[in-house]
Amino acid sequence: MKWFTRTAGMAAIAAAMTAGGAVAQDNTIRFGLLQDFTAVYTFVTGEYNQGQRDYLTLVNQEGGIDGHTFNAIVRDTGNQPQRGIEAYNRAREEGAILFDFLSTPVSRALVDQVLQDEVVLITPLHGRGDASDGTTFPYVFPMMATYWSQATILAQYLKDNGGLDGKKIAVVHIDSPFGREPIPVLEALAEDEGFELRAFPYASPGNEQSATWSEVRRYRPDAVFIWGAGGGQSVSVREGIRNGIPAENIYSVVWLAETDAANVGADVMTGVHRYEAVATGTDLPILQRIQEQVIDAGLGAGDAAAVGSTYYNIGVATMAVAVEAARLALEHEGAPLDGAKLKAGFERIENFDAEGLMPPITITAEDHQGGGFGRVSQWNGTAWEPVSDWFAAYQDVVREEIEQGAAEYAGGN
Amino acid sequence: MFYRLSGIHHTRYESARALWPVPADRWQVVALAVLALAAPLFVSNLYLGSYILPWLIWAAAALSLSLLMGLAGQLHFGFAAVMAIGAYSSIHLVRAGVPFELALLGAGVVSALIGTVFGAAALRVKGLYLVMATLAMQYLVDWVIINVPAISGGAQATLRTPAVSFLGLPISTLIERYYFALGWAVLITLFFMNVKRTSFGRALVAIRDKDFAAAVIGVDPFRYKLMAFLTSSFIGGVTGAVLAFCYYRAVTPEQFSFNVSIQLVAMVLVGGLGSAIGGYLGAGFVLLVPIFLTNFIAGLGESGWIYISQNLMAHLPLIFYGAMIIGFLLLEPLGLAKIYDNIRKALLVWPFRHSRS
Amino acid sequence: MAYFLELLVNGALTGLMYSLAALGFVLIYKASGVPNLAQGAMVMAAAYVVWFFTSLGLSVWLAIPLGVATMFLFGLMTERVLLRRMVGQPVIMVVMLTLGMEIVLRGLVPGFLGAAPKPLDIGIGLAPVIIGDVFINREYLVGGVLALALIGGSMLFFRTRTGTKMRAVSDDHVASWAVGLSVERVIGLSWGIAGIAAVGAGTLWGAVQGVDWTLSGLLFPAVAVVILGGVDSITGVLVGGLLVGILGSVIPGYLDSYAGGSTRDVVTSLIILVTIVFRPYGIFGREDIERI
Repeated sequence: MKWFTRTAGMAAIAAAMTAGGAVAQDNTIRFGLLQDFTAVYTFVTGEYNQGQRDYLTLVNQEGGIDGHTFNAIVRDTGNQPQRGIEAYNRAREEGAILFDFLSTPVSRALVDQVLQDEVVLITPLHGRGDASDGTTFPYVFPMMATYWSQATILAQYLKDNGGLDGKKIAVVHIDSPFGREPIPVLEALAEDEGFELRAFPYASPGNEQSATWSEVRRYRPDAVFIWGAGGGQSVSVREGIRNGIPAENIYSVVWLAETDAANVGADVMTGVHRYEAVATGTDLPILQRIQEQVIDAGLGAGDAAAVGSTYYNIGVATMAVAVEAARLALEHEGAPLDGAKLKAGFERIENFDAEGLMPPITITAEDHQGGGFGRVSQWNGTAWEPVSDWFAAYQDVVREEIEQGAAEYAGGN
Repeated sequence: MFYRLSGIHHTRYESARALWPVPADRWQVVALAVLALAAPLFVSNLYLGSYILPWLIWAAAALSLSLLMGLAGQLHFGFAAVMAIGAYSSIHLVRAGVPFELALLGAGVVSALIGTVFGAAALRVKGLYLVMATLAMQYLVDWVIINVPAISGGAQATLRTPAVSFLGLPISTLIERYYFALGWAVLITLFFMNVKRTSFGRALVAIRDKDFAAAVIGVDPFRYKLMAFLTSSFIGGVTGAVLAFCYYRAVTPEQFSFNVSIQLVAMVLVGGLGSAIGGYLGAGFVLLVPIFLTNFIAGLGESGWIYISQNLMAHLPLIFYGAMIIGFLLLEPLGLAKIYDNIRKALLVWPFRHSRS
Repeated sequence: MAYFLELLVNGALTGLMYSLAALGFVLIYKASGVPNLAQGAMVMAAAYVVWFFTSLGLSVWLAIPLGVATMFLFGLMTERVLLRRMVGQPVIMVVMLTLGMEIVLRGLVPGFLGAAPKPLDIGIGLAPVIIGDVFINREYLVGGVLALALIGGSMLFFRTRTGTKMRAVSDDHVASWAVGLSVERVIGLSWGIAGIAAVGAGTLWGAVQGVDWTLSGLLFPAVAVVILGGVDSITGVLVGGLLVGILGSVIPGYLDSYAGGSTRDVVTSLIILVTIVFRPYGIFGREDIERI
């Protein structure tokens, strides 16, 4: 029996080593885009993933980075942690060094594993906000404004346009941890800036909110933040407008896009504000090149009509940052890339704005959020029109929240 | 030929009632046990950690539900909530300084208590109404977990499992976790196979077949229905704790949502109600088939065999998976266990078509 | 007071829209004793079908009849191909089969027609109907009226010759066979009508929230409606819907601010539980008498 176990063990180790060696040899950098195409995140995943893959195709068409090409491993996880774990382990065996789950449950379930395996996990606009603390979460990169930063940016915009003192702000949110996320930060701001804040939860998934909005109307808020996702967002906007809240006074989290405008009615929604992480439209150098070299060449990953939409551009931006990180890592750390080198590459990113597609972000070893930038844009009936410059606000308050969460994590939770 | 039946003559009741009277079955069990024990040596971490380990734990969960649905005939569409109670209570107990061994027991007790309240509805109704009542319970438990941050783990709603050891052995590396889960699955399987042979098990079967008739012959439905919920919820709760500590290691409410309850019911039904091997086959089917389908179809797409949109590619596994569930129900309502049984019966007499009896 | 009235009216109207989703469930259960847990998915499919016809450039008033025809055929086919083969199986097998159908529909429909939310405009303005300080949601008003009409129509339908046959079949399959009724055809018809009811629910809810797979989540409130009203009663659907809607609107309207979370799912769950514990067959349902 002993000889059997020993030989079997040796064979297994040998097999594992050859498999690992084979992956490290070639010049392909693999990203695991293991996302939720069939469940909760369907409203964003299609366009987001299309943008990600189109950008990687663009980079490959342009000759790659320093002789390296990029390959996306795309799988559906259905928002189920156990399928996410399987997809993650498989992709890691195939040599992926960067992961994007675009699913809060899956990301949360895998944070520990990622930290242990030393591969990069990007969690743009989802996952744990406190992962912005690079010292506690060295391999996790939110890399775009967390929900806390989005709330502070909206608050700052209100302050710059009419002031906050004595105002009443209603937060109408989906009843989930995600929906409640901005509240502590806004409460802290309410105390500092002297405005009144009240939260109005509605039941998930938010297809029926009339009772909530009857209450909101009686509160007579000066501004309403709507904090939900998917179909619930368009219901929020409709109910808000129906209850006599002027469209201009509705401010949305990042999850409000062209599809929601179509659902609400494009003209009805005119005036609604939202937080914006990334510029929308095709009038940007990167999008032009994607159009020429990927879409027109017939290499697009999906429906050409989606190019330039909000979520598509967010997808492009995430990959632009990731490819930039890989470029910096190759330049400073040398090939072949692994998770640790890619992480170092991320932390070298400085004032990177993807040719105007996104705010200039700087990622450091401490700050994995990239500064928490964003801007406010307004629906003008046909498109999202920016009404502010890129800026970040109240980062001290956000930082406090991040550090508190990170300390709790480090303490065992 | 494969199953030699010659020479098997029972002279004592004990031997006739043995779990595996046929030597070939015994050999299969021994071979499986050896394979399972040696699995870390020849199975890669990928398959051990993302296929076999969850399979074992979900099989244990399916067996505990099968005890309730298959033996006692009480439908339960909120079993994920029972497991959630177990998972959350075990973590909070360990955090509070209770040793892991006791925390597992505590998780079982808490789940059993709350799970028996679920069962209270069973005293009044059965069939469809019981399905609805347990479904409502699932939503209530979910709501409590999500809305009480003290339970779900603060703003991030994630609860990490602390490092633990069982009887002095640490449970942290994949291999340690695998052996712990294996031990639990084996324990539950043995319990499940033996409970059918006790008076308790027979009483449950009597209730399942007709509770009024059972009452007539002296089996108290009130007591045994509650006992069924108690036992099944206890095991389910501990399995939930094992799932949290050995597999997920970071617990979020979504891991025990309504969909998971449905998956558990599917495991039991597709596997075969009240069958031990059915628990394993059903858990394997429901857990692994979507994963295999996803990888297979993605592989086809990447190698250029099919040209379809990413959207359709992601939904195809769902279609096939649902179609397979329907197909099994239509073609073999008794589940995969029955298919196994048919094959075994055919092999028993192979190369002949029929046995004499 | 105005606040209470507003919660009451909007709650009652949404409740009626829930009953529209529940109507198909009751029809099928009444005719064949099959609890169709895929009714939510059928609502989703119906909404997608109507959206699909509008996306071809058809007006919505043409798309809806086409959707009705499609879903009617779909209902008939489902019964013929799947459910008829399950006759005589235990209820849990039938439940699982309908859940399997739900999974297939959840994959099939968004897979081929697109998973991102689709707009469905049926031309109801956003402006509310204002009476005093009470704002009534116009979509819900239209939906509620339509639901009333459809439920009333089903009640009348049960007085027609075919409807009488349906009642006979729901009373006793074997006896209906004995007097020469085609039980299969009647059950098939109930599935077809359930498909039509799904078009009503799908179109209205699709117009409210956009068309995507989350429409299949309407199953949960629909289940509360049928449990409260009685699984085999059309009147029950109406009353159950009103009660579920009103309780699910008024109670959260007053409690949410204190509970710090939305209590609507709790209310819905409690309605199901309380009904089952105290009056399992619902308000209008028929009590099953079981013989050994």
